[in-house]
Amino acid sequence: MSGKLLERGVLRYTPAGVPAIEFRLGHESEQLEAEKLRRVECEMACIALGTPALMLKDASPGSGLNLEGFIAARSVKSRTPVLHVTKIEYLEGNENGIQTEE
Amino acid sequence: MSIVRIALDVPLPRLFDYRVADGTAADRGRRAAVPFGSGEKIGLVLGVAAESDQPPEKLKTGSVLRDMPALPDDWIELCEFCARYYQYPLGQVIGFALPPMLRRGKLPRRPKEKPSPAVAPPALPDLLEEQQAAVAAIGAATGFETFLLHGVTGSGKTEVYLRAIDAVLAAGGQALMLVPEIALTPQLEGRVRNRFPGRHIVSAHSGLAEAARARSFLDALEGRADIVLGTRLSVFMPMPRLKLIVVDEEHDPSFKQQDGLRYSARDVAVFRAKQVGVPIVLGSATPSLESFHHGTSGRYRLLPLTRRAVAETLPEVRTVDTRKEKLQDGLSADLIAAIGERLARREQSLVFLNRRGYAPVLACPACGWISHCRRCAANLVVHLADKRLRCHHCGLEAAIPKACPDCGNLDIQPFGRGTQRLEAALQERFPEARVLRIDRDSANSPTKWQALLAAIHAGEADVLVGTQMLAKGHDFPLLTLVGVVGADAALFAADFRAPERLFAQLMQVGGRSGRAELPGEVLIQTEYPDHPLYRALTDHDYAAFAATQLADRESAGFPPFAFQALLRAEAKEMATSLAFLAEAKAEGLALAGPQVSLYDPVPMRLFRLMNLERGQLLVESPHRPALQVFLTSWSERLRALKAPRDLRWHLDVDPLEF
Repeated sequence: MSGKLLERGVLRYTPAGVPAIEFRLGHESEQLEAEKLRRVECEMACIALGTPALMLKDASPGSGLNLEGFIAARSVKSRTPVLHVTKIEYLEGNENGIQTEE
Repeated sequence: MSIVRIALDVPLPRLFDYRVADGTAADRGRRAAVPFGSGEKIGLVLGVAAESDQPPEKLKTGSVLRDMPALPDDWIELCEFCARYYQYPLGQVIGFALPPMLRRGKLPRRPKEKPSPAVAPPALPDLLEEQQAAVAAIGAATGFETFLLHGVTGSGKTEVYLRAIDAVLAAGGQALMLVPEIALTPQLEGRVRNRFPGRHIVSAHSGLAEAARARSFLDALEGRADIVLGTRLSVFMPMPRLKLIVVDEEHDPSFKQQDGLRYSARDVAVFRAKQVGVPIVLGSATPSLESFHHGTSGRYRLLPLTRRAVAETLPEVRTVDTRKEKLQDGLSADLIAAIGERLARREQSLVFLNRRGYAPVLACPACGWISHCRRCAANLVVHLADKRLRCHHCGLEAAIPKACPDCGNLDIQPFGRGTQRLEAALQERFPEARVLRIDRDSANSPTKWQALLAAIHAGEADVLVGTQMLAKGHDFPLLTLVGVVGADAALFAADFRAPERLFAQLMQVGGRSGRAELPGEVLIQTEYPDHPLYRALTDHDYAAFAATQLADRESAGFPPFAFQALLRAEAKEMATSLAFLAEAKAEGLALAGPQVSLYDPVPMRLFRLMNLERGQLLVESPHRPALQVFLTSWSERLRALKAPRDLRWHLDVDPLEF
C-alpha cells in the first residue's frame, strides 16, 4: 500500500525496549472496478515496530511511502483494522525530498 | 536429682519434663539445654517438680544454664498470656520473645562500659496548654491507666512522651517506647539520646545484629537500660523497673504481626501495663477505632492535642475533582500548577501514590493477556527501572517478555500507574526539578533510606514521589505541598477497615506538609469529592469520621462491637482447604455457645499464594471472654483433627487482614 504520511506519533518504546511508532497513511490512486477506472481515496491507521519504526521517527507529514505489512485488529475491544508495517520504502520525488533507505 | 518443667520451641502446646542434677525453685526463668529427638534444644525452665507424670525411666537428663539472670515471673506470665490469648504454644511464644542468640543458648560478649559524656540536656521547648495538661495527667497516674493521646499532626506528641519519660526516669523507673517501623527508630533514637544524655538507651528491632539485640535484652533484664525503644517485638523486653509504656502511632497496622505468633503489640502492651500496674500512653493523630471507642466510652482517658506546636495552622486540605478534566499522566492541572509554584518558591512537594513499581500490570491489547503470577492469584508488577516483572506477594521475578507470550504481539503495554511511572512523568513535565522517588525499591536498605532522608532534609530534592514509607512521623521543614493520587480505590475495598486505614494514611501524609514556619497545602485528586471520608479530611475532623465509622461498625456488628478470630487453611488445592475448614466448623458448632457464631468457609481474597490455595473461616462474638473460652477448646479439637499432609492451618485472633 502506498500513500502520504498524514500524521505520526512520537517514537516510543515497549517495556521490553522495542521501538514503536503509530501513524496514518493517506492513500490516493486509480483502480479498475467492474472494468471501469475509478479514483480511490482512503486513510489507514498504521503502526511500525522495530527497525521500520526507526525509519519513520523523523519523517515529515507529506512524505510518500510504500508500505508492506499485515492487517490486525486495533485491540480486543476495538476491531478496527490497523496496518502493521514490516517494510517501508520512501517514494522518490516527494515534496520534502527525504529519500532515506536503510 | 530433681525434675524441671521446660518450655521448648516446638509446635506442641505442652511442657516437657527433664531430670537435672541440681534444680531448685530459683531456676524458674533460666534457660536449660536438653536432649530432644536426635539433637539438643534450649528451653526455658518454668518450674521444678517433685515428680513427673512420665515414667522415671523415660525421663532424659538436661542441664540448667545459669550464665544470665533468670527471666522474672512477670515476663513468663506475659508469655503465658500471649499463649492463651493468641492460641499459640507457650514454648513457641517464649522462643519468639527471646532474642535468637539467647534462644540458641549463647550469650553476647559484653562491650566495655563507655562512660557517657556529661552533656547538658538541651533546652526544652515551651509546652502548649494542652501538652502541659497531658503531661500532668500522665504524671499523676499512680497505677495502671490507659491514656489515649489524640493529637493532630505536628501537635507535639513526642514532646509529651519525652516529658512523661523524663519524670519516670527521674523517679528511678524504666520506660518502654514502641514505634511502628524500624525505619523510624534511628531518627527517634537520635532525638531521645540527645534529650537524655547520660541515660542508657537501648533499641530493639529485627534489623539489629543478633549480638546487639541480645545485649539490648540483657541490658533491659538486668535493669541497666533506662529506656527501651523499639518496634513491636520490644513489648517482650523484660524490664524490672518498668514504670511507663508509650505506644506511638498506636493505630499502625504494623503493630500486629502477620505470621507465627500473630500478636498485636499495642494490645499486649496494654495487658502488660495492667499486669505491672503502670500507666500506658497510646498516641496517634488518627487513633484506631478500637482505641477511640475506648477513649470516648471512658475506658481509656482521652488527652486531646488540638493545636499544632510549631506551625501556626493545619495545612489547607482540598479535593480536586478529576471527573471534570482530562488528567495529564494522572496529574490534574491544579496539582501541576501547585507543584510549579513550589518549584518557583524553592519549597518541596510530595506526590503520594501508594503503589510501587512502574505499572501494576503488563497487558497485551491485541489478545487480552495480562501478566499473572504463576504462583499467586495476583498480577506481576512492571518494574521498568530494572526491566523486571515482580510479584509483590511471593517475590517471583521474570524478565519483561519481548512479545506477548500468548499471541506474539510485540506491542504489549503497561497499564495503570505506580511510583516509577509518576516519577518519569513528573521529571518530563518539570525537567529542571530534582525528582526523588521514595518507596521500598529505592530505599531497599537502611543505608539507602537514611541517605534519601538526608537528601530531603538537605533540600537536595524538589519533588518527592512516595508511598506510605514517607507518611509516618517525618518532619521535612521545606515540604509545603502534598498531592494525593490514586486513593479512590481504597474507598470501595471489601475490607471493613479499608476506610479507617485510608483516612489515617491520608491524614498522616497530609500532616507532612507545612510543619515548620511555612504554611502547608494538601490536594487530593478524586472522582468522589463529596465522599464523607474526604469531607472529614478537608475539615480536619477525625471525630466526625470516627463517629460515622463507629456507627456503621455497630450496626454491622463489626469490631470494636464484636470480637473476631480467623481460622486460615492452605493446601495445594482449594477443595482440600475448604474441606478442612468445613470439618473445623462442624467441630466448632458443637462447642459454640449462643454467643459465638461461625461463618462459612470461603476462599481468601488472595486465594492462591506461592502455589498454595487458601481459605478462611470467621468466628465472631460480641463477648470477648466467650470467644476466648470457645477458642481454647476449639483449638484443642483442631489439633486433634487429622488434617491432610499438605495442609497447614493457623488461628488469627483479632485479625486485621481478611
